[in-house]
Amino acid sequence: MNLKNNSLWHITEGQRLRYSMAILAMAVTSLLMFSAPLIARYAIDVAVAQDLAEATPWLMPLLHVSGYESIAAYLWLSALAAVVLTGISGYFMYWRGRWAAIASEDIVRRAREALFWRLHHLEAGFYDRADTGDLIQRCSSDVETLRVFLSSDVVEIGRAVMLLLTLIPILFWMDVRLAWASLVLMPVLIAFAYLFFQQVKRVFQATDEAEGEMTAVLQENLTGIRVVRAFARQEFEIEKFGARNANFRDHNNRLIRLMGVYWSISESLSLLQIGIVLLVGAWFIIEGSITVGTLFAFLTCINMVLWPVRQLGRVLTDTGKAVVALGRINEVLSEPEESQEAMPDVERARGDLQLKGVGFAYQTGQPVLNDFDLHVPAGETLAIIGPPGAGKSTLIRLLLRLYRPQEGSIELDGKDIATLNRQWLRAQFGVVLQDPFLYSRSIADNVRVGEPGADHGALELACQDAAIHESIVAMPEGYHAMVGERGVTLSGGQRQRLALARALLKDPPVLILDDSLSAVDTGTEQQILSALKSRKGRQTTLIIAHRLTSVMHADRILVMEQGRIAQLGTHQSLLAEDGPYRRLCEIQGALDREIEQDIETTR
Amino acid sequence: MYDDDDFDDGFDDAALARGMRFGLWRELFAYAKPYRRELWLLAAFAVITALIEVSLPLITRSLIDTVAERGSDTNLVGYGLVYVACVLVLAASVGSFIWAGGKLRTHMSHDIRRDGFENLQRLSFSFYDHRPAGWLMARMTSDCERLTNILVWGLLDLVWGSVLMLGIAIAMFAMNPKLAALAFTVLPVLAWISMKFQKRILASARAVRQTNSRITANYNEAIMGVLTSKAFVRERANQRDFGGLTSTMYTASVRNKVLAAIYVPLVLTLASLAMGLTLAVGGIDLLGGLITAGTLIAFMTYARHFFEPVEQMGHWFAEMQMAQASAERVISLIKAEPEVQDSETVRETMLAHRDSNDPALALDGGKTAIQEIELRNVSFAYNSGRQVLRQINLSARKGDVIAIVGPTGGGKSTLVNLICRFYEPTSGEVLIDGIDYRLRSLHWLQSNLGMVLQAAHIFSGTVRENIRYGRLDATDAEVEEAARLAGADFIFSMEDGFDTQVGEGGGRLSAGQKQLVSFARAILADPEILVMDEATSSVDTETEQRVQNALVHVLRGRISFVIAHRLSTIRNATRIILVRDGQIVEQGTHAELMALRGRYFELYRQQSLQETTIDGNWQDAPAQ
Repeated sequence: MNLKNNSLWHITEGQRLRYSMAILAMAVTSLLMFSAPLIARYAIDVAVAQDLAEATPWLMPLLHVSGYESIAAYLWLSALAAVVLTGISGYFMYWRGRWAAIASEDIVRRAREALFWRLHHLEAGFYDRADTGDLIQRCSSDVETLRVFLSSDVVEIGRAVMLLLTLIPILFWMDVRLAWASLVLMPVLIAFAYLFFQQVKRVFQATDEAEGEMTAVLQENLTGIRVVRAFARQEFEIEKFGARNANFRDHNNRLIRLMGVYWSISESLSLLQIGIVLLVGAWFIIEGSITVGTLFAFLTCINMVLWPVRQLGRVLTDTGKAVVALGRINEVLSEPEESQEAMPDVERARGDLQLKGVGFAYQTGQPVLNDFDLHVPAGETLAIIGPPGAGKSTLIRLLLRLYRPQEGSIELDGKDIATLNRQWLRAQFGVVLQDPFLYSRSIADNVRVGEPGADHGALELACQDAAIHESIVAMPEGYHAMVGERGVTLSGGQRQRLALARALLKDPPVLILDDSLSAVDTGTEQQILSALKSRKGRQTTLIIAHRLTSVMHADRILVMEQGRIAQLGTHQSLLAEDGPYRRLCEIQGALDREIEQDIETTR
Repeated sequence: MYDDDDFDDGFDDAALARGMRFGLWRELFAYAKPYRRELWLLAAFAVITALIEVSLPLITRSLIDTVAERGSDTNLVGYGLVYVACVLVLAASVGSFIWAGGKLRTHMSHDIRRDGFENLQRLSFSFYDHRPAGWLMARMTSDCERLTNILVWGLLDLVWGSVLMLGIAIAMFAMNPKLAALAFTVLPVLAWISMKFQKRILASARAVRQTNSRITANYNEAIMGVLTSKAFVRERANQRDFGGLTSTMYTASVRNKVLAAIYVPLVLTLASLAMGLTLAVGGIDLLGGLITAGTLIAFMTYARHFFEPVEQMGHWFAEMQMAQASAERVISLIKAEPEVQDSETVRETMLAHRDSNDPALALDGGKTAIQEIELRNVSFAYNSGRQVLRQINLSARKGDVIAIVGPTGGGKSTLVNLICRFYEPTSGEVLIDGIDYRLRSLHWLQSNLGMVLQAAHIFSGTVRENIRYGRLDATDAEVEEAARLAGADFIFSMEDGFDTQVGEGGGRLSAGQKQLVSFARAILADPEILVMDEATSSVDTETEQRVQNALVHVLRGRISFVIAHRLSTIRNATRIILVRDGQIVEQGTHAELMALRGRYFELYRQQSLQETTIDGNWQDAPAQ
């Protein structure tokens, strides 16, 4: 769906026919709605004059057909006609409601899905800049504003306009002078409502803010209840909340009082309008220019439009909000998407990685990777170590084509990844991040994210390899336990192992562990590493790690420093040369001895 | 935002929405008591409004009949004046009942929230265990607003509607009983339809709200988990799941609108039926000279008007039924009794000692200072029956640092919670200076506590306010001194120093900085008992060093309990206890436990290996 054009008109594309039908149904509804008072007008006049000559010519043929040509029969016929016509008008009203609902909800559904799609396909760089809270707000409350506008406000405006458009000719047809008298206060009503709501917008905002502050204090108190108790600060908290609570109350009260003023003025304007019709009408009756029936019709019709007209002023104010909301939604939708390349014809890559002269910087002038050359043959296990900021995680992001290197190229199985379809490319990798993201679903579903069709056996096997199976079955609900606020709370290590199981289940050509065993204890880590070893040859494995114990058994070890390769080789070859790796091993050795000593001294 | 449809809290919405529980509403309505004046005004103005609305058609009737009778002799100006006077009174009374109702509603809602909050501050942790913060938030915010809306505006419509209907009925029967009876035949049908539909419409609106909150949760997940979704090529699957949700939303929303689209025409048609009957029968009476044209018109106007209150009352009645579950939840929150609270005797002694000014005595007459704390045969089980601690014996004196180690779920946190009296032992006793702490006041113990948690909780506001949370009457100099002792030097180099706004949840501080601020808070509080849940979160090496140094200051001169995750930090503890499966399996000093070659020894060796990461040594390595 293309929402790039900022106009409210543009987004109705595809539903315009339905909207038009709704408007048409609305017009029919309004016309038929007014027919009841018009029929009553003639009926009253007939009854007052006791003469069928006052009857409406439209009902007379029906009266002839019925065979009862009495005044009483005419009255019953009128009553029947009024009920039937109102019923038919109700039928059209139903269709108006239905079509308008379908049209607006469909537009909103497409907007929601477009946003969701866009969120998944935006370039990764977008998220480095984006403010999460604001983004969620755009997706939720801005869409909601748009929804209310499309489904209620548009209908309200349409109803008021349609009623006025059909009513005005009827009024002027009945009596020109009384028609003028009936409409004199209408513009005042609309203008008053519009101006009033424009003015109190700020009060609404202030009330919302006051509520927000109160909610924030409440939330902080509830989430920090341990700290509150530990310092016995209940009184302090009660006072703090009390102030916000009272502030919200007073703001809210002020708002309601303003609304009280609004309603009483709006009410008196409406009733004055009716009063004008009544008195002027009475005068015209005395003059003999109109009948009692006409006055009744005027009074009833005006009563029917007053309410929608009073709403019009408020609704027009809301239009402004909807335009702003749409603008904010469109900003997200017009962010650039990742490009889409054609799928390669091979299903599974071998896992041969080649980086040629790769250079990358998040911000110009601050290079993270510099002229980086590396070849990882398929099936190799490569460990990567280096100080924080050396560019280890960036390397992974480039491999996944989350970012594009500014210099050089990256090849998978000899093909430049810039030419490969991103989704295909990413399907070749299984990545475990240090702080993995888990979905709020069951544990089994979280692991199955790696391979949606996997059977339970494969699932358990992956969990066993990731050394998490036992922790899972120890939970009361086992694999069906929900992850998240309303389910089990997992420790950092458990989350990492679950993410590992997810990647292992996928069984990808390239497995990447980005410092993903940092919260796992050493014993478990060794268990996992040996499980990985038994899978050796099935995949290329990149392990970024922080403990020497986790890297020393890799086929090769890459030491990174400041975006460059400082050292590359096997554990033995690196130990043989003078460099950071050997020094690290020496320190480690010294530390080990220290621990041994500690253990010795306590013997 | 805080919907609880996925969370089973033991309240059955569907069952509670059946029938009418007046007891529940009466209980809530007690909150209107302090505002009796507003309540009476609200009712009085509702009555006045209704009476004027009843009399306006009568003015019309009289005018039309007078015009028919007297023609140009009619006193139009007089009628005009009466009409305008009525309109002005009506407008004033509408404004007034909104004012009175507004005050009543906002104050009641404020008072319910106040009581709820105050009770939340008293309730024990066991209450919080089963209720996510979001659940509590929903009770305190949207539920409060919703219930007071029903109580005030529902009451208003009840009074207004009853008077209006009664007035119209009297007027109609007085003018012509036959016509009146005829018009009234439609009433029960309308009332029934209104009830049925309003309830369905409200239920579908609820479905829309719930789906909406799930959609928001999905967006949240889409944004937070974007890297994972991309890496696992979840785009299509997520989009498909989301598509299911938007379809549900579409169906629910359309259903909500369509229900309204059926209901409104039905009501209008029924109203036209009443009007039609009046027109035909009344018209025939007019022919016979039984009634005047004015009466007929007044009748037809009444026939239109008196459906409004029926619709309104139908709406409120349905809303009341639907909101009964909310009412039950809110009342349960206000009425809940804390499991841990001062006993009757303690409260009495506190009353007796309330005038005492001796600083050495606590508010319950006991000593303020704490020399020794002892756990004797302490066992604990949750309400669910799950046994967490068994036969714990432990004692600590002023100056001691007791380190508690052991596997996750072994009972470390529960042990500490018992010491802090957040829970009380199921059996056995906790003695403070030889006295069971249940014989002392809760506030005394907890105001002598200090706590530093793994995930430091920081309140929004300034750094200074956060530190001062430890001791509210501390001077700026004392706050700064505490910060210095805690090693939180970073504050001094911040642009606004101690007045720096930390943002919601301390979002503008790093994890390490938050930890240091919470240290400063504990140092300032200078508690008799300090509980530390030592951080495992990876802070950078430099901060880590700072935190370690600060610890020395934090722990000095009190009884400290440290839940330790990094064993290297507790080698100097007075005593280390290893808790496993709810029991103390080993205890002693580091040296003693190492010599034991037991579980602690194993744990220590393994952890030492784990802790020596490359990161910590990197700065040294290349420089050698």
